[in-house]
Parts: sequence; C-alpha cells; structure tokens
Amino acid sequence: MNGALALIKALEAVGCETVFGIPGGAILPAYDPLFDSAKIRHVLTRHEQGAGHAASGYAQATGRVGVCMATSGPGATNLVTPLADAYLDSLPVVAITGQVARPVIGTDAFQEADIRSITLPITKHSYQVTDPDDIPHVIAEAFTLAASGRPGPVLVDLPKDVLAAPAAWTEPEPPVVVRPRLDPAGVRQAADLLARAERPVFYVGGGVVRAGAAALLLELAERTGVPVVTTLMARGAFPDSHPQHLGMPGMHGTVAAVAAMQKADLLVALGARFDDRVTGSLARFAPEALVVHADIDPAEISKNRRADVPLVGDCRDVLRALNASVTTGGDLGAWWAYLDGLRTTFPLGYDWPEDGSLAPQYVISRIGELVGPEAIYTSGVGQHQMWAAQFVRYERPGSFINSGGLGTMGFAVPAAMGAVCGAPDRQVWAIDGDGCFQMTNQELATCALEGLPIKVAVINNGNLGMVRQWQNLFYGSRYSQTSLGSTPDFALLAEAMGCVGLRCSSRPGVDDVVREAMAVRDRPVVIDFVVGADAQVWPMVAAGTGNDEIMTARGLRPLCDSDTGEDL
Amino acid sequence: MHRLSLLLRNKPGALARVVVLFSTRDVAVESLSLNPADADGLSRLDVQVRLREGRSVDQLVHQLRRVVDLCEVSAA
Repeated sequence: MNGALALIKALEAVGCETVFGIPGGAILPAYDPLFDSAKIRHVLTRHEQGAGHAASGYAQATGRVGVCMATSGPGATNLVTPLADAYLDSLPVVAITGQVARPVIGTDAFQEADIRSITLPITKHSYQVTDPDDIPHVIAEAFTLAASGRPGPVLVDLPKDVLAAPAAWTEPEPPVVVRPRLDPAGVRQAADLLARAERPVFYVGGGVVRAGAAALLLELAERTGVPVVTTLMARGAFPDSHPQHLGMPGMHGTVAAVAAMQKADLLVALGARFDDRVTGSLARFAPEALVVHADIDPAEISKNRRADVPLVGDCRDVLRALNASVTTGGDLGAWWAYLDGLRTTFPLGYDWPEDGSLAPQYVISRIGELVGPEAIYTSGVGQHQMWAAQFVRYERPGSFINSGGLGTMGFAVPAAMGAVCGAPDRQVWAIDGDGCFQMTNQELATCALEGLPIKVAVINNGNLGMVRQWQNLFYGSRYSQTSLGSTPDFALLAEAMGCVGLRCSSRPGVDDVVREAMAVRDRPVVIDFVVGADAQVWPMVAAGTGNDEIMTARGLRPLCDSDTGEDL
Repeated sequence: MHRLSLLLRNKPGALARVVVLFSTRDVAVESLSLNPADADGLSRLDVQVRLREGRSVDQLVHQLRRVVDLCEVSAA
C-alpha cells in the first residue's frame, strides 16, 4: 500500500462519501486509487473555489464534514476563499491539498505554495504529513477536529512523494467527541434571570443549527413565551410561521426584531457572536439588557459585548438544561403588546418599481411560496441575499445556506451543487445575483455533467446592487463601477453549459417560470429574472450607527423618539 | 503590557500559529523567547504583549486555547 491508497482508505473509513476537487501534478497519486473507490464519489469541479464552497454547502445540508481536494500551488490557493468562508461561518470542512515532494519543499519548486502558512489565520488546524504511515490517523484527526467543538476548516497538505511512498495501514480510531461540561450555577442564574425578565429575547445564531438544537429551542420558547429573533446564519432554526418569531435582527432585520433587542432587559444569546451586522454601534446596542451568552467557544463570550452570565457549552446541552430549569416566565403581556404593535405597523414590505419593472422581492417571495419549506435555498451575497433572508419563509434548520461572516460573492451556485449532492431528495434553489453569478457560474457545467439538477434564480438587475444601494444612500448617487451592463445572456449561457435557460421579466410570468423550472428533473435550470435596478433593501441600519436609528425607508426612523425626518 | 507563558507541542506550525494569532488579533509583541521545556516534545514560549485599548487578556487567552498544539497558557 502507498500513501495515496492509505489516504483513500482512510477517507472511506471515516465515512467520507463525496469529494469535490480537481486533480493536478502534486495530488495526482491520490487520484489513482480514488479512481477505484466504490465508496467515494468525486465531483470534478471547474474551479477549486467551486470545490471548496461545494464542500461547505454539503456540510450544511448534511451536518457532516464536507471534503474538497486540490493540487499544490494555484490549486491550493484557490481554496483560500472557501476556507476563510468556512472559518467565519464555523463549517466542518476538510481540505486535502497536494504539495511538492519533500526534497524540494522550500526551493520555490514548480507549483509550490506554502499553503499551510497562507491559511494559518483561516483554518482551525492544519497538517503537513511527512511520514506516509501517519496518513490514516491524520485524516481521522482532521475529521474529528473539523466537526467537534466549534466546527471549522482543517487543512491536510500531502507532499507528492509521501503519497507515492509505501505506507503502513492502521485502522483510524473512531472520533471521540468531547462536549464541554456546562456550569450548573450559570444555568441556574440564566433560568433565574429568565423568570424575572420583563423584556426578554432569545437571540438565536448559527450555533443552534450546528448543534442540531432547533427542537429544544422550540420547546424553550413555548415554555417561556419569550420572543425569538434568528440571525442570518440561523434562519430556519425557529419556524418563521411561529407567532413568537420576530424575524431577523441586524442591519437589514425587521423593525420588531431590531427593536426587541434594542429595548430588551434580557438578551439570551444562543450560538450567536454579537457580530457588527447584528449589533450596529456596540456602544449604543441594547443599553438596558443583561446578557446571557451561551456558546461552545469560550473565546466568543464577552468578545464584543460583556456577558453577565457566560455559558460555555453546546447549544443542545444549554437548551436541555434551560428546559429542565426554567419554570414559567414572568408576565410578558406589555412586552408582547409593544412588539406586536411594531409588527403590525412595520411589517416587511416593498414597493413596486415606478418604471413598471419586476420587483425582485416579489420574485423571491413567489419562489419561496411555490417551492416551499422542504427545499434548500442558497444565496450569494448582496441585495438578493438579504431579500432571500427576508422574503422566503423558512421552517427548517439548515434550509438557508449562505455566506454570513465572510460575505463571499459567488457562493450560491457551488454551495447549491454541494447541497444537492448531500441531500439529493430535496429541491435546491440558488437565489443569486447577476454579479455573484458571474463569479462562479462555471460550476453549472459540473452540475449538468454530474446530473445535479439545481435551480438558479438570477435576480438580474444589471448591477452590483448592494454597492449601488450604498452609493445611492451614502455617495450622492454616484454610481462608480457598479453597472454590469446587459451581457452575457444568462439563458443562453445556461444552455451552452447543458442547462435549461429561462427568462422572465414581468409579474404575470413569474409563477409559470418557477413551475416550469420545478418540472425539470434531469438538468440544472437557470432563470434569468430581469428586475428593476432601483429596488433597495429595507429596513436598514446604516453601518456604524445605532440600531435605534433603523430606517424603514430613506430618512424614516421609527424607533427614534425625536425623528426629525431629515435625510441621511 | 502582559506576560504570557505558553507550553507548546513541538509540532511544525505550532509557533507560527501562535504568532499569526497575535498578528490577526492586532496584538503587539514586545518580546518573545522560545526554549525547550522540561517535558519531552514540548517548548515553553514566553511572550510580552501589548493589547489594543479595550481588549482583555482573558479574551486573548481563550483565543490562544483554540490552538490545537497549545497545552497550557497563563497570563500575568
């Protein structure tokens, strides 16, 4: 047995079923035994970045480790963006990279890049294997590390001669996952605060999804009657149809969700990290709230906002303990009356463009209605992402896969490809923007050839829409370098890559074209939704301002006591 | 100024990961000394660092504890 065969056998032994990748010089030995593997499906992507995001999409759709593979040098550096993305969104991903042979490491050999050093700040851990006998246990350790504690990406760099050398096989040890022990005193304090709070909020983040704790959250919410907000990474962790759900907080959150956090006397943060997109100006964030902060990573607690009650633990354990400890909460009648008033007065909404063009929010809400909550939705980054977060109704954890922390444009198509590999029985819809789509659409060719029938709804406003929105609001409508023009023809581009290409530019056609796409099962479908360029994402908390200054439209600040109505 | 004492496994990249963490988190290193520790396969890293205003050494210690090849860290 050589190192390469040990690698493939180790991947099989730890339960890896799908690898996204591209072969090349240094990783070539690994692709030879992979050719014979009956257990591992290799999806040959068109760009390593696609392989990396596909591994993330797979990980989020399945809850298991996503795996990508690339050769040394440029193959490996093309994984940098997906690794950074997976690091910031805490995704269990293992990246396997080829490396030049040991004798020439450090000599600027052909296709040599020090990928371990390059990825140090964006990986949870990394290995460079120098002894082929180490391969089985390094692979097992990498999988365990990626998935345990706070999940994250792990890199395994394999010099070509290590892959080619004889290797001893030792069965990898099954992973031992240790969960931190919860501090019972902290749980009691949290339960006590919950019982006394008059204006409590559950601030739910992606940690609840990663922990598989959505059912326990529902139990705690119903037991206590406390309002719930779900961040971008947690959409679906609590059903949108639930009356206690106020929606998404933050920069483009609902008025009710933003106000609930801002006016709360108790914030119970569950697997959330007080990101600046949620808090706005930290100095002005939730000024009257005590904070219970539950997170599996102690380094997140009190990083941005001091926690009054820190709870280090897996959200399953935290929620189970809270469910066992809380008695009935206090009377929340006045709190709910206030929040219900905001919900009624400031529901999510949008105006139809005056020029008669299609409203992007309408397109996205119709996709959500027609495709339903059993599907998986992915998105890129920008206006379409925020509308996908606002106007699709999510009922299941993990049903919205997007790039939250890093904000990686081009995430939608490859993530959808990975998601459909992991969940082939679900419809997978990528809601994309025309800017994002042009960054990674080459993976449609992969999807067509591999028989991965993803649907891509390109919300095509011919612009880098979110940047244009900021230029409109903050740069005097000087639209510097945000127009993308009207080429290429996305429907023709889709057809050229073996997909079905459709187009819709009017309101009456939306339902029909979505149904037409849903009926296609053997190929990917791209729908070019030609929408107006002037639609904006509202509400909005401008970067660096306080959440109290949330605007429901330009200059309209419903939470400011003395709203002068002046412009920005 | 804070003094940190770290016990690291002698694994490739362990020191680099700690130093990169300082750089990532905008921690200024005033002095740094690496020596073999008493136990086999371990090294003692003594560092003096300066933190940005408003950032706590406890938080830095928690971030250092995420480094897989770090066995121990204490701050003084």
